[in-house]
Amino acid sequence: MLPEAGGSWASELGRQLKNSAGSSSVAAMTSATRPLWAGFMRAARNFPQRPAVVAERETVSYADLRDSACSIAATIQRYSEFSSTQLTAVLAYRSRTAFAGVLGTLLAGNGYVPLNRTFPEGRTHAMFERSECRSLIVDAKSLPQLGCLLEHAQQRILVILPDVRDVAPLAAKWPMHRFVASEDLSPASHWQEPALETDGLAYLLFTSGSTGTPKGVAVAQRNVISFLDYMVERYDVSEQDRLSQMFDMTFDLSAFDMFVAWERGACVCCPTQKEIIKPDSYIRNNDLTVWFSVPSTAVFMKQLSLLKPGSYPGLRVSLFCGEPLPVSSVQAWSEAVPNSIVENLYGPTELTIACTLYRWDALHSEAESEMGIVPIGYPYPGMNYLVVDEELHEVSPGEQGELLMSGPQMSLGYWKDARKTADAFINVTDHTGVYYRTGDRVRRPQSGAPLIHLGRVDSQIKVLGHRVELGEIEAVVRKHCGSDAVVAVGWPRTSSGYGGVEAFVENQVENHHLRDAVRSELPEYMVPRKFHFSDRLPRNANGKLDRAAISKLLDGKHD
Amino acid sequence: MIEASSEQIRTFLQQYIVEKSLAGGKESPGELADDCDLLLSGMIDSLGLLDLMGAIQQHCQQEIDFEALDPEQLTVVGPLCRYVSEQLASR
Repeated sequence: MLPEAGGSWASELGRQLKNSAGSSSVAAMTSATRPLWAGFMRAARNFPQRPAVVAERETVSYADLRDSACSIAATIQRYSEFSSTQLTAVLAYRSRTAFAGVLGTLLAGNGYVPLNRTFPEGRTHAMFERSECRSLIVDAKSLPQLGCLLEHAQQRILVILPDVRDVAPLAAKWPMHRFVASEDLSPASHWQEPALETDGLAYLLFTSGSTGTPKGVAVAQRNVISFLDYMVERYDVSEQDRLSQMFDMTFDLSAFDMFVAWERGACVCCPTQKEIIKPDSYIRNNDLTVWFSVPSTAVFMKQLSLLKPGSYPGLRVSLFCGEPLPVSSVQAWSEAVPNSIVENLYGPTELTIACTLYRWDALHSEAESEMGIVPIGYPYPGMNYLVVDEELHEVSPGEQGELLMSGPQMSLGYWKDARKTADAFINVTDHTGVYYRTGDRVRRPQSGAPLIHLGRVDSQIKVLGHRVELGEIEAVVRKHCGSDAVVAVGWPRTSSGYGGVEAFVENQVENHHLRDAVRSELPEYMVPRKFHFSDRLPRNANGKLDRAAISKLLDGKHD
Repeated sequence: MIEASSEQIRTFLQQYIVEKSLAGGKESPGELADDCDLLLSGMIDSLGLLDLMGAIQQHCQQEIDFEALDPEQLTVVGPLCRYVSEQLASR
């Protein structure tokens, strides 16, 4: 059952979902009848001594991780007075406690709220406050940030510290809260299996909101189970596999690494903050078999000449998600991984990790790509899509519009924000069920063709009255500038749109012929009036190019 | 291909970090100490470090093998500058 205070928005969305009679999503939804932790516990029974995770350069077996997680879960269950919200925050970073904390939270019947000590304290505090968590798990290195969460807490918080033996100084400093030291954790044997709730939460993840306030996306365990069932079968994951964890837990793609691995007894290999910067060494030294990262990592590896042909023969699955995947990067990657399939995944957090995919094929894929970007492919089983115009009418095949999706991976909506949920999760005339508005612009495919991602809906602007797709300009600039990282921005603003376009190129060397090359392919109103060369463009915490921050650079440049 | 002393690499690094900080809306970090850890200090993130390695290669006009440098040292100003300089001298 969902938390009381969040019941109104969630129950309404749940009611609409259940009323979508006949849709495949309902069948898939009700088929998810196991909790998210079940796969891990089964693997721990079958493979107790196999590695479940490598964190902080230490290997932790399934049996050991199960004991740590059950002990945390039993502790949460012991202090039931802190369970008014079925969420527990995990302030831990790439540590054993981070993984035990996530599992322990789920085993206690709660959803986890990942917090990240490398984020600014203000952002972490805002996430914690908005989640209304009453319990919190903290690892040793995140302790310095504990103050920012507890100083302003309005309610008493249960703080579980599996890495701290003496909590007396903390208790003296913050007497209002309850601290549990490592030696006071409940024994693992005291863990009690929680009841299975239909809409039991897996996690609450915060994404950037256009207003600057992070939005909490509430993802149910059944959403993740639906995703997992497809992924483990598709990639035939086994206990022999070793999966990368390049993503921080505050990025929902990290859920793939953990839960896909644990579903089949495989190992999650989590590099330290420093090991991440040597992805080539990490792949080799840890015998990785499954790779998953943002495309930017491949872009940088290519620049550093780390994608030489045949470099990583041990990889058998390579996946990219989170931003557009350039053809040139995937070509270089494919040559470096001679024994690996390479797939481009797409999906907003609201649709649970990823919901469409495309397998790269050296023979045909380049022709299927548009503007130098790999297609996002085909929906996962049970996921339905529509491509609609501004009036939410379906466009004809071959035309472009906004991508709407529906199905078992559609999340519960925005945490305690009925208005934003209603704006994004909508009914569409003549179509049953609720659809999520992705805000992504795609081409509605002809029969059998893949979905093509063309940019964000809001990346289409009016320049001197012309409708201009910034992604198209970026594609042409990308083709001629030798860099995959290009961002086009409307500038200057006018009452009816923009007076022109300027482009940012991540390249140290200015290319004086770029304008001429671009002019040969684009009408004059689309040719950037100015090119800004920078050796590195701003990226957000997840490694994606930060369009808003890049736009702000223009404000400074034109002051 | 160029040869460069540890100090010259540091000057490049200093300039790179200052530009990066200003572009990201942060304050200029001032003089970089020998033991300054670029990653742990939050001056630069993991993808930024990959980019920095690429920028150093471009600046030095040759491929630098970062493989032998321990990740713990790779992000620290002094060891990084000395390592790059030694790599250039050994070619």
